[in-house]
Amino acid sequence: MIRLSGRLRASLIIGGQGIRARKLRTFLSMVSLFLGVLAVVVVQAGAEIANRAMLADIELYQGKDGTRQMYLSPEGQTVPVALEVLRGRTDAVAMTSTRAIIGEPGVKPINEGGGPIDQPGGYGPSMMCDANGCYPIDDGTSGAPPGQAVELQLVGLTGDIRQFRPFRPSQGRWLDFGGQPSLSPGLVLNEEAAKAFTRYHVPAEMSVDGATANPTPRIVGVIDDGGYQPTAYVRSDELMNWLPTTSLGDTRSGPGLQVLMTPSAVEVEHVLRARLVAAGTPADQVRVTTVETLKQRSTELALMRWIFLGMAALVLLIGVAGILNVGLATVGERIEEFALRRAVGTPRLLLAGIVLAETLLTGLLTAALAIGAGVVGLQLALTVFGSRFPSLEGTAFPWQAGVAGVIAGLVAGILGGLVPALRAARIPIATVMRA
Amino acid sequence: MTTSPLLVPPPPAAPPLIHLTGVTKTLKGQDQPRTILAGVDLTVHPGDSVAILGRSGSGKSTLLSLIGLFDRPDGGQYLLGDRDITRIPERKAAALRSAEFGFVFQRFFLLKHLTAAQNVAMALVNGQGWLPRRKRKAKVLAALERVGIAHLAKHKPPRLSGGEQQRVAIARALVREPRILLADEPTGALDTETGNLVVEVLRQATDVGCGLVLVTHDHDHAAKMGRVLHLSDGLLRPAGQRVVA
Ligand SMILES: Nc1ncnc2c1ncn2[C@@H]1O[C@H](COP(=O)(O)OP(=O)(O)OP(=O)(O)O)[C@@H](O)[C@H]1O
Ligand SMILES: [Mg+2]
Repeated sequence: MIRLSGRLRASLIIGGQGIRARKLRTFLSMVSLFLGVLAVVVVQAGAEIANRAMLADIELYQGKDGTRQMYLSPEGQTVPVALEVLRGRTDAVAMTSTRAIIGEPGVKPINEGGGPIDQPGGYGPSMMCDANGCYPIDDGTSGAPPGQAVELQLVGLTGDIRQFRPFRPSQGRWLDFGGQPSLSPGLVLNEEAAKAFTRYHVPAEMSVDGATANPTPRIVGVIDDGGYQPTAYVRSDELMNWLPTTSLGDTRSGPGLQVLMTPSAVEVEHVLRARLVAAGTPADQVRVTTVETLKQRSTELALMRWIFLGMAALVLLIGVAGILNVGLATVGERIEEFALRRAVGTPRLLLAGIVLAETLLTGLLTAALAIGAGVVGLQLALTVFGSRFPSLEGTAFPWQAGVAGVIAGLVAGILGGLVPALRAARIPIATVMRA
Repeated sequence: MTTSPLLVPPPPAAPPLIHLTGVTKTLKGQDQPRTILAGVDLTVHPGDSVAILGRSGSGKSTLLSLIGLFDRPDGGQYLLGDRDITRIPERKAAALRSAEFGFVFQRFFLLKHLTAAQNVAMALVNGQGWLPRRKRKAKVLAALERVGIAHLAKHKPPRLSGGEQQRVAIARALVREPRILLADEPTGALDTETGNLVVEVLRQATDVGCGLVLVTHDHDHAAKMGRVLHLSDGLLRPAGQRVVA
């Protein structure tokens, strides 16, 4: 061990001396290698960043990888039981989703059906489908005249869901789950819903499917939730002030229910399941799925990455040819030096190590430069284009790209240095006597 | 010729440094193999200095390369102390070259990108790696002092005179404190005066018990050695002993 490290140290020091002695050569080798290593770094960094950006968008909407989710249909006591079990919990959050219209009462909303604000005509009236087919929900607005109202999805939350879906804050603040529920429900809009409020003059009156009366909501903030449909988020206890328990069990107009759980929230899942079954929910309807976006997308992502890495490897190979060329020329020039080193007792292996160390150091030096260029390039690109891609905000240089660069430098150093090293080790010592 | 008391051969009981008997070497010629060495006998004791004369192409360098373990003999026997190293494998040979032998050549073979001190330190690399920095420096400085050029330690070869360069090369040969110094025409590239100086530096090494084999064309230099041998027809004979054709 000591022996090996002693030799390694000697190779590195002597290799370093050789590099300093031939600065121009080293520089030329580095030039030929630079593009190859840079290509590897850029491909790796690009793949990582694209990967992360894509995941970030998906995770806003579907939840982070590993999140376990449960969809329940609002039959019988399902919704009240779930809300009760999950009240005040942080490792599991229930989301109810209801249709709501904010604005002038009794008019046809500008986005009938709850579609995006900009789509003329919207989705048309809300449809309800069951085993007998689909039919429009009669919400009393179908025949009504168009007016200043927005139809949106109203999502009631028992807790903070940002641990599962990391919404990006845009304006104002997020819901405060501490303290007593207010009679005037606090709403946080997503950006699509916020559009309607900035564009149209919508009065603050909200009609919620199944509600006993129309509450006056307060809009406290706007977030980006990755969705295209206008949506508003509200504390479920504030919402429940206005919804009678009877309406929660209605399969037609009752809210859809989704429960998001952390991977470790096993206990709460057991309790919830037990309580639901006890309350009459069929056991086979209480099913849990896990968000596995990365796993589902990993094959296509990996394929893309390998294709690009393959192209980068080709560029790298050209660089290796360059370093090899320079290395062989150098060995030819240094025959006497190598013969002399062997004459004074440097073993062949160490001599090969010295030559290899030179190209390895050159490779690493190039890798350092290429990684530096990658970091600077990313910073530049982010300052220039960053504002256009919110999901790229705060992107750091991915360490995987750094590792890939170092590996590329090492591999190129080994490939480019091996043949010269073997040649150097084979030079006969007697050369020093014939020169 | 003045002989210092140290040059008196030690009592015969002491084993010789090296002992070659009947050493042969055949090299591939252009058409057919040529026997360069046809049975060389040579014994060197500690403190011995031996000059080898011979016309160009007689095989002096070839002989030196066998003694210095650059190459192996085809036949005969080569003892280092009492160890038979006739067919020693390369890895062990490298270790011996580093530990037992010092080499000086006609050309100095200094690496011009390294300082004098770094050139000397180069000989301290062996299979174990390198000595620790501090020890290395001390040894290098001592070696440069022995050849009288410690003040040039930081100079690079292009700024040194031929004599100074050859003395750096000698310091490189001495730095391991070898038991045998092998010099192949070390004065060939130097003027007479500098040549004398270099030979004197080499001879001084024998004062401390080092063995010296000096290949030279210069009879004056040869005369400064304890023994003068002549290589011809692949055989080594005491000088003056004429070959009867
Ligand atoms: N690698 C080799 N292959 C074949 N023949 C060789 C080889 N090296 C040397 N010779 C031949 O061996 C002979 C002895 O060479 P050597 O270098 O030992 O002579 P030398 O006595 O040192 O001569 P000089 O005084 O000119 O240095 C020469 O004739 C040379 O041509
Ligand atoms: Mg010769």
